[in-house]
Amino acid sequence: MIKARSFKGGIHPPGNKDLSSKQSIRRLPAPETVWVPLCQHMGVPSKPSVSKGDKVTRGQEIGTQNGFISLPTHSPVNGTVKSIENFPMPHRRTGPCIVIETESEDGGQVFEKWDDYSSHSPAEITERIKLAGICGMGGASFPTYVKLSPPPDKNIDTLIINGIECEPYLTADHRLMLENPDDVILGMEILAYTLGVEKCLIGIEINKPDAIELMDEKGVSVLPLKVSYPQGAEKQLIDAATGREVPAGGLPLDIGVVVQNVGTAAAVAKAVRDGEPSLRRTITVTGRGVISPANYDACVGTLFSDLIGKSGGYTEDVKRLISGGPMMGMSLYTDGVPVTKGTSGLLALTDDEVRDVVESPCIRCGKCVDVCPLRLTPNLIALAAENERWNLAEGFGALNCMACGTCSYVCPAGRYLVHYIKKAQDAIRANKGKEA
Amino acid sequence: MAQTRRFELAMSPHVGATQTTRKIMFDVVIALLPALAAATWFFGPRALLIVFLSVATAVVAEFLCLKFMKRPVSFALDGSAIVTGMLLAYNLPSGVPIWLPVIGTAFAIVVGKQAFGGLGHNIVNPALLGRAFLMASFPILMTAGWAAPEAWNSSEDISWGTSGIAMEEMSTIPMADAISGATPLNVLKQTFDLDASAANARNEGNTAEAESLEERADGIRNALSCNSTYMNLLIGRSGGCLGETSVILLLVGAIYLVMRGVLELRLPVSYLGTVAVLAWVFGGSGWFNGDPLFHVLAGGVILGGIFMVSDMVTTPVTPKGRIIFGIGAGLLTMVIRRWGGYPEGCSYSILLMNLVTPLIDKLTLPKVFGEVKKNG
Repeated sequence: MIKARSFKGGIHPPGNKDLSSKQSIRRLPAPETVWVPLCQHMGVPSKPSVSKGDKVTRGQEIGTQNGFISLPTHSPVNGTVKSIENFPMPHRRTGPCIVIETESEDGGQVFEKWDDYSSHSPAEITERIKLAGICGMGGASFPTYVKLSPPPDKNIDTLIINGIECEPYLTADHRLMLENPDDVILGMEILAYTLGVEKCLIGIEINKPDAIELMDEKGVSVLPLKVSYPQGAEKQLIDAATGREVPAGGLPLDIGVVVQNVGTAAAVAKAVRDGEPSLRRTITVTGRGVISPANYDACVGTLFSDLIGKSGGYTEDVKRLISGGPMMGMSLYTDGVPVTKGTSGLLALTDDEVRDVVESPCIRCGKCVDVCPLRLTPNLIALAAENERWNLAEGFGALNCMACGTCSYVCPAGRYLVHYIKKAQDAIRANKGKEA
Repeated sequence: MAQTRRFELAMSPHVGATQTTRKIMFDVVIALLPALAAATWFFGPRALLIVFLSVATAVVAEFLCLKFMKRPVSFALDGSAIVTGMLLAYNLPSGVPIWLPVIGTAFAIVVGKQAFGGLGHNIVNPALLGRAFLMASFPILMTAGWAAPEAWNSSEDISWGTSGIAMEEMSTIPMADAISGATPLNVLKQTFDLDASAANARNEGNTAEAESLEERADGIRNALSCNSTYMNLLIGRSGGCLGETSVILLLVGAIYLVMRGVLELRLPVSYLGTVAVLAWVFGGSGWFNGDPLFHVLAGGVILGGIFMVSDMVTTPVTPKGRIIFGIGAGLLTMVIRRWGGYPEGCSYSILLMNLVTPLIDKLTLPKVFGEVKKNG
């Protein structure tokens, strides 16, 4: 095999992927009621276009796009709108949801089926991807069509499909590559066509040899990568693949690269070939706090409590519930939270699994500096933030932090480094807003 | 349906490495134990007593400070006070009066550490500050107590701490009577004095005396740079501070620390490397004829290099900064050894570099990922 590549820094947390990596994706029928969030993407929430009592059909647009960095929302079921209300969200406190009583889950094809994508222009395809409400399914949920609409002065030459899934525990992308490689590959081809790029790679960590082999057999050029967290972070992936560094404060577009997650590619394939908007996703439900870890194909709006129920419920000693992976995921106080397009995993962790240390002073061991993939000095930013010295924190590069959590992971003093740095980012941005 | 079950909320990441400050500190304590065994073997049970007093004082002083400042007293047992106590004791000759380590450690903890805010906030290494305090306050006690190794259980009268170094050669040195057990670096320092006297004699036109003095100095230096000296220094059969005697046992501790992921090699390697190179450059009688091996093995640079240059709190956090720190401390050590008033410069060099650590950090911040290279 080709030598696996990587980036400088990073850590090797225990993967814990074997809890669910052998579990085939189970398709879950839509629950009796779905809570469809109007903001499943990064950006402005969509505007509800239905009201209480309306009949909706599967795939129907129920929320319209509201601005450039925004997406439409679709109904994942046929049914009746019960209400529009605020509800706990996986990634923020609460957000508006359209609550729909499910009648059936048939249909869903709302766009024309395009068997031959290449007979349509890239602009048409980009429009389709926008109307289908597709956003990045790796976690950040950035609207995909925006990434496919580079300003004319940017010359894109490389597309990288992200099949790395470097977060411990999560196996959804891995299973998707194994069980639905054709959709991933078709989506990859469509994306490459849309961007007009020749060079197209799929990055996979070498802890998934079966996926690497399968993609290789199917003639896709695979980029094997060393197992290191956060290998799947966009900047680190691009660095490993091309040796190019995304400029600080810039975008991958600036250096001619676009990265899309494997789940996004599969969603693109569905939207173009089958004419179906983004209504479902693969999600890993795992952790030692749940009886039987599994991978599901669930429709958006399914409550986490339903998923846990399908997995046999919680164990006695469950302690923390996390939406996403253990490194960057958000802890939730309740499982009454709906699945969104960006929900890659749901973790129920026990006391033994979570790190529970009492914070003590920084001993300046420098481990955070050694592992930071963005070459920041997390301990110094955190100290500045603790003392509300925002300018100092900014001088240390606080705004570059992507909150990957690598620094907190290694910190022997158990410092909440990510917390302090995020606090600094918020304050710096707020001050900038005031000045502007 | 939403259940009534409530979960704990916490900031990401939710998982983490198992290393903790406490574990690091106790790893350092463990790594220091082989050297304690050597100290006990060569300097007798008194060495153990001094280390014990020092550690006990450190923990009690830490406890009282925390209590006084109404901070969690459990910090007193995080291991850092024990490390400070051990390191200070390791920097004392075995013959010091037993109240000396008590005063020194109390000063180290109260003034060197807690006055600055406790663990993580001290600017200089507390153990070294304690030692500097003792050197300034009780210079005679701190330098007169050199015991000859193994003298404590030997019936023979060993008058030279530097046993193994050609006695014949050394008996010709007109050294002060007070030195009952000189350290190897004391002896080396004497040769520089002989060199200076020789130069004076030559200026006065007394060539014959100058030549004889130079010959003596060279003879002693040759005696220092011989295999039996190296061997004695390696195993620890030489005069010196408690903890610095046995190079081999200190290295055993270093290997343990590296295996435990506690010792980061940039600091000790750049420090000892600089000492070795500069020893060759100007550690001898003239230029480029020094003995790097002798300079690295003798005195406290191995102890300092492993346990004090690499003290986390008082050294830079940036990778480049650590190398600069090591080089700077190595340079100061050798300058003091060659031209300073003390035979050994290890502890002062580290203290001085501790003071510029924030500046080094500031000047060596890594270039942030994707940041455009600035000129210069």
